[in-house]
Amino acid sequence: MKIKRMLALVLAAVMMFSLIGCSAKNGSGKKIKLTMWCIATEGDSNRGAYEKAIDELKKTMPNIELEWEAIENETYKTKIKSAMAANELPDIFFTWSGAFLGDFVAENKVYCLKDALSKYNDLPASMLGNVTYADGKPYGVPTTMNVVALFANMDLLGQVGYTEVPATYDEFIDCCDKLVAKGITPIAVSGSETWCVTEWLEPMIEKTIGADALNDIFRNGATFDNAGVKSAVDALQSMIKKGYFAAEGASLKNDDVRDNFAMGKYAFYQNGTWNCANFADQEKFPGFIDKCRVTEFPVIDSTNAKLGQLIGGPSDTLAVSASSKHAKEAAEYCVALGREISHYGYLSGAGLPAWTPTYEANDINALTKAVAEICNKANAYVLFGDTAMGGSDKDNYLEYVGKVYASEVDGAGFTSGLKKAVR
Amino acid sequence: MYRKNQKLTVFLFLLPSLLLFFGILIWPIIQSVHHSFYEYPAFNRAGQFVGFGNYVKLFSELYDFGLAIKNALILAALSVFIQLPLSLGLALMLGKGIKGERFYLSVYFMPVLISAVVIGMLWEKIYNPLYGLLTKSFEFFGWADVLPAAGVLGDKKTALMAVFIPTIWQYVGYHMLLMYAGVKGVSSELREAAKLDGATDGQVNRYVVIPCIKPIIQVSIIFAITGSLKSYDLIKVFAGDAYNCPYKVPSLMLVRYAFNNAGGVASAIAVMLIIMCFGFALLINWLFKERNPYGAK
Repeated sequence: MKIKRMLALVLAAVMMFSLIGCSAKNGSGKKIKLTMWCIATEGDSNRGAYEKAIDELKKTMPNIELEWEAIENETYKTKIKSAMAANELPDIFFTWSGAFLGDFVAENKVYCLKDALSKYNDLPASMLGNVTYADGKPYGVPTTMNVVALFANMDLLGQVGYTEVPATYDEFIDCCDKLVAKGITPIAVSGSETWCVTEWLEPMIEKTIGADALNDIFRNGATFDNAGVKSAVDALQSMIKKGYFAAEGASLKNDDVRDNFAMGKYAFYQNGTWNCANFADQEKFPGFIDKCRVTEFPVIDSTNAKLGQLIGGPSDTLAVSASSKHAKEAAEYCVALGREISHYGYLSGAGLPAWTPTYEANDINALTKAVAEICNKANAYVLFGDTAMGGSDKDNYLEYVGKVYASEVDGAGFTSGLKKAVR
Repeated sequence: MYRKNQKLTVFLFLLPSLLLFFGILIWPIIQSVHHSFYEYPAFNRAGQFVGFGNYVKLFSELYDFGLAIKNALILAALSVFIQLPLSLGLALMLGKGIKGERFYLSVYFMPVLISAVVIGMLWEKIYNPLYGLLTKSFEFFGWADVLPAAGVLGDKKTALMAVFIPTIWQYVGYHMLLMYAGVKGVSSELREAAKLDGATDGQVNRYVVIPCIKPIIQVSIIFAITGSLKSYDLIKVFAGDAYNCPYKVPSLMLVRYAFNNAGGVASAIAVMLIIMCFGFALLINWLFKERNPYGAK
């Protein structure tokens, strides 16, 4: 009996001291605890950049203690929206610019970062376009910038007589025809991740109707019922019918497709430039960087489109919850963190920096350098369709993209269907 | 006075359960019905009243809810006509008291204990068209051409079955355990009496054991059908981020639209699911009552 009493007393004492310990920590006022959710999971190309940036801020902002959690991309989209609806957003959260963040801003859930950003002069105003909404104020900090680019395996292209990546659309088609004739699969795309199909469809539409027209469709309420969109969809389906796309892509995940491209199974891979870090990974794909070239998709209709019109932009963004107890401190930390992620993300090849580099960047890999050159020559950007469009519009759009890939609708079906389904 | 106090006591004792029942089950259903009549342009803010508009929209070419219902019904049928007979067969076999009964019981029940996500990822690897066990086995036997080039998950003709096989396999053990408990509960005297009358093992099962465990079979059928209609986790692992998925089911659509500013449509799906689940449960109860050999209702 005595032992039981003693045990109960000891346990009670432990609990009491724990509580005192907790309250002392919170009440000391020395450290401010902030929470952050992001998508930089272990396998994500940005993981290293996040870790280095957070370590860096431990030195420069020691009064902030950050607890961060990384969640897988698709799960994150659901989690962050549920948290927003329940008013349980973390202090700082990763988001995509454009309509995704716009939905949060429209619900007054995001803290304005105008004051926190005003302390810096190395973030170009052009980078804030996608995080600035109706009231003209910025609500997010862009970190890295990525565009859709065409990666080519020059070893395979060399087997059909191409020493350079095809510069025109006709050459591209000719190259694919020759690859098919030689028994080499020209292209692979993950059909089980519909966003990957948009990485082919959107550049093809942009290089047919031009960046302004596509921007009008994605962001300014213009209808999808456009002859150029129809012909671009038909062109993509014609490529599918001609056997350019690996059939097995229909059931492969993007990681499988990407890795098999890097291992020499496919000649072309079109996806975001965040892949540069993966392709430059010498441990995973030894020697691949030397035979890989990156370029933009060629122009299909030069009357409307031209080179330098790209899909992408500064989409990866950090934002601060309006309900944060330490919103002001979180905003300052968020901006500083975004700046550091931009820095380390660029150095690791996870993307181009949204912030102007104020540091030496000579060691970045050749692919990222090539992407930087492409972006230097760029004259227009159109944000990714699934980021530019919000809510059910995005879903309806992706549903039709899925139908295009499965050859269930043609160009006419795509345009007429989306004319009704979007807005 | 005593009776009045007794009624009050009964009410007070029931009150917590009633509150829970109303708060957790009835109120969300009422809310779902209410939400299904509105548009939800933002996450948690109701928009315009649209009446049955969301229900009509569901069956449009874009949402294609008919396909999702068709898939769910196919899964329910497969569960009833393949999964449950398998479970019953295993339960009867193990319930007879074979050597290693406990071991087999654990082996068959194991998939139930594994997370659906793990099972999904495991089968996804098996189906992988480049290096999957299925692909490599077929290649080994020289049957590579039998499998679709797009992979079993990528081809419309095979995708549905490819997804449903692990879904059914996972719960065979669950129903087997339910039925096994019933089989073990059948009096050994009944079995022995039948045996003395010259009944074979099959006849004992057919005329003694199965009629005795009918209530458990009924429960299993209800669980199998409602579970199939609500199936989500394993199918979500296969579907991932795919739109226009040939094996889409109602819950997959519900979650997608609930979190993409189409809460009204998602609520309409939820209401349809509730109606279907209740409808099937009532139908099964009615079917079993009609066939009661003792004539009792």
